[in-house]
Amino acid sequence: MGALSSLKVVEWSEFISGPYCGKLLADLGAEVIKVEKPGCGDKTRSYGPFPQDMPHQEKSGLFLYLNTNKLGVSLNIRSVTGAEIFKELLTESDILIENHSPHEVEELGFDYETLKKLNPRLVMASITPFGQTGPYRDYKACNLTSFHASGLAYLNPPEVDDIEQEPPLRGPAHQGDLAAGLNAAIATMSAIFSCHATGLGQHVDLSEQEVLASMIRRNLAGVTYEGITMTRVKGSQSRGGSVMGHCKDGYFFMLCNTDKFWANWVEVMGNPDWAASELFQTTISRRENWDAAKMMIEEWAREQTVDEIVRAAQAKRVPCTPVNTVRESANSELLADRNYFIEVHHKEAGKLTYPGAPYKLSKTPWHVERSAPLLGEHNEEVFCRRLGYTRQDLLIMRAEGVV
Amino acid sequence: MQKLPLEGIRITDFCHVWAGPHVTQWLAVMGAEVIKIESNLHPDLTRSFFAGDKTLTPGLNQSVDFAVLNYGKKCCTINMTLPKGRELAKEIMRVSDIVTENFGGAVMDRWGLGYSDLQKLKPDIIMYSGSGFGRTGPYKELPAYAPIVDAFAGLFSLNGCLGSEPCPFGVGGWTDLVAAQHGAFAILAALHHRSNTGEGQYIDLSMTEVASSFLPDAIMDYTMNDRVQGAQGNRDNAMAPHGCYRCQGDDEWIAIAVSSDEEWKAFCDAIGNPEWTTDERFRDGLNRWKNQEELDRLIQEWTKTYSHHEAMEILQRAGVMAGPSLKAEEVVQDSHLREREFFIDIEHPEMGTVRLARLPWKLSDSPQGNYNHAPSLGEHNDYVFKELLNMSDEKIAQLQEEQVIL
Repeated sequence: MGALSSLKVVEWSEFISGPYCGKLLADLGAEVIKVEKPGCGDKTRSYGPFPQDMPHQEKSGLFLYLNTNKLGVSLNIRSVTGAEIFKELLTESDILIENHSPHEVEELGFDYETLKKLNPRLVMASITPFGQTGPYRDYKACNLTSFHASGLAYLNPPEVDDIEQEPPLRGPAHQGDLAAGLNAAIATMSAIFSCHATGLGQHVDLSEQEVLASMIRRNLAGVTYEGITMTRVKGSQSRGGSVMGHCKDGYFFMLCNTDKFWANWVEVMGNPDWAASELFQTTISRRENWDAAKMMIEEWAREQTVDEIVRAAQAKRVPCTPVNTVRESANSELLADRNYFIEVHHKEAGKLTYPGAPYKLSKTPWHVERSAPLLGEHNEEVFCRRLGYTRQDLLIMRAEGVV
Repeated sequence: MQKLPLEGIRITDFCHVWAGPHVTQWLAVMGAEVIKIESNLHPDLTRSFFAGDKTLTPGLNQSVDFAVLNYGKKCCTINMTLPKGRELAKEIMRVSDIVTENFGGAVMDRWGLGYSDLQKLKPDIIMYSGSGFGRTGPYKELPAYAPIVDAFAGLFSLNGCLGSEPCPFGVGGWTDLVAAQHGAFAILAALHHRSNTGEGQYIDLSMTEVASSFLPDAIMDYTMNDRVQGAQGNRDNAMAPHGCYRCQGDDEWIAIAVSSDEEWKAFCDAIGNPEWTTDERFRDGLNRWKNQEELDRLIQEWTKTYSHHEAMEILQRAGVMAGPSLKAEEVVQDSHLREREFFIDIEHPEMGTVRLARLPWKLSDSPQGNYNHAPSLGEHNDYVFKELLNMSDEKIAQLQEEQVIL
């Protein structure tokens, strides 16, 4: 039994944010029915990465990862019958996750005011780029533009030589969309707790811009409280005692933000004379003179191997690590020992290795019971066995493009 | 008006620095009573950020870092290095639903406050342990901070402009926050399970595993194709244009993404259909993607003639995804966020008015949230020891004398 196995969820979502929210719930046991449009399905199906780079609707690595443990139905909710069936599903559900534009949702008649009449207990989580209100509510966005419009990208990379040539950068991959889905899951669960008490659902209005802006809350408080204006120019930000150094065979990264770490790090370097200088004896003086310290550390590191440095630093409990590629991290002793990666068998894509649990729950472990659904794989189970449609009905609906 | 969603839930909170306090801050705003355990001997490290060193100045209650991570919480001071301090903390845990910690190693076990100990104290307790590398495994005793985890998990190797060397992520606490949010979700799931079954449990969260879970495309590409992805900058695997372009004004930039032929046509119309848009090299998605370097150069000719906000308005009106690359001060001024009341003013007894970002969502029928100011060191000693634990003034004085309450 999963922690959330009493919850019934309908996920009407595209791409990453909504599906990640659904995955978080499904991987802890909630029953999640993913509603996709007939024909092409969720956009992620055509996005990849694909095995051998061969596009295939059922083999997108991103889709397979994001949709574990879900039931999948194909349903054209823009058709009259499709909309009816969709509403029938919602009547029996605790949660609806959607990530469409507020305008589109209203137009289709699936806005919260309408749905709550159908099912007062329903928690509707709406994930949008800018939220349900405000001048930008119907503006379009994606992971890239949201990263920028939230102030996150402007801080990345942290130190730039030539601000005219080097634009601000979004974070790697699709982390903004994933973070939006994650926060939606927290908000949804809190609304479920309210529902325990009141018997009533509510509407969760989640803005990806706000999710990402809240990640730089410290910088925002710097502006509002301390009047700090940040620039991207090299040397303008204190990096708090960190170094990424180039060794003989790769990079290491270390962070010395306390006196104790620093004292131990100096030992790791073999107590060089320069480190005994006045300039580096207190947290404040090190912060002021960090560029000089950094240069000396970088110079020393060039003659070492990554492994030598990391082992010596870890033995003295200084926060230090190799700068890994995904290959090195995936093959690490650490993640193997923690049994992080999992193998999942999928009807079409076969057996593949996926990222595993982001947390270990002792009594209700995270686990993958079923692989991502084929497009429309559970039409019969959901429409016939649950909602009481006959196979004959299903045939007619298929012919009409409803399913 | 309804109550806050987590009203009635109490948390004994040993979290410190970034990743831990963020977990309980989310829960505190949603109504849980979070009691932070600190002491004058070991105040939360962020209390001394920018306040000089660890000497006990009034600055410990005035740190901006602490204020942004601890609003909505209570704080009492207990000297956990003394056996009597640990006994006192147990009394608080006995009347709590959840215990949270993120020490750099098995500190709770060494104090006799590991999960099995807590279970004896309160069988249905939920315990959350957040750490850089997990509470089991070869690195279980290693200290870690978010950038360490990011470097280990591969995030640095995927960050930077196209083809660049590994690059630290500009937002140093990113994985602290993302890990904390996974932690908050896991705690809510465990609470849900407890309310259905009466059963508590132990949650072991490793920031490294969270960071890996946030890199699924790169990891799946590696496990499926043995391909090691590198930094892509603002580019995308499929979309083009998909970049960030210089605008008029001081270091102003705009991000633009076009995901279909339809959007491309809208984009061309919006920028006035200059002749180059009909170039064969940009006729479809594949060609735009292959020739994006030249495409980016031409687009930038256009964006350079507008401010980032102007460019956004022109493109959004045509239905094209476009967002200015806002500076922190522009986020604070942003008219949209302002209308959504994204910033709230918190009155702090020593800091005055502090304007901070609220939780990034709104619930239609719950109150806004518990946004009490971040607690001063020991601010709630009276509440915790007198009201909650029913201790007499004499007893409290004695424990102060013995430096248990410190």
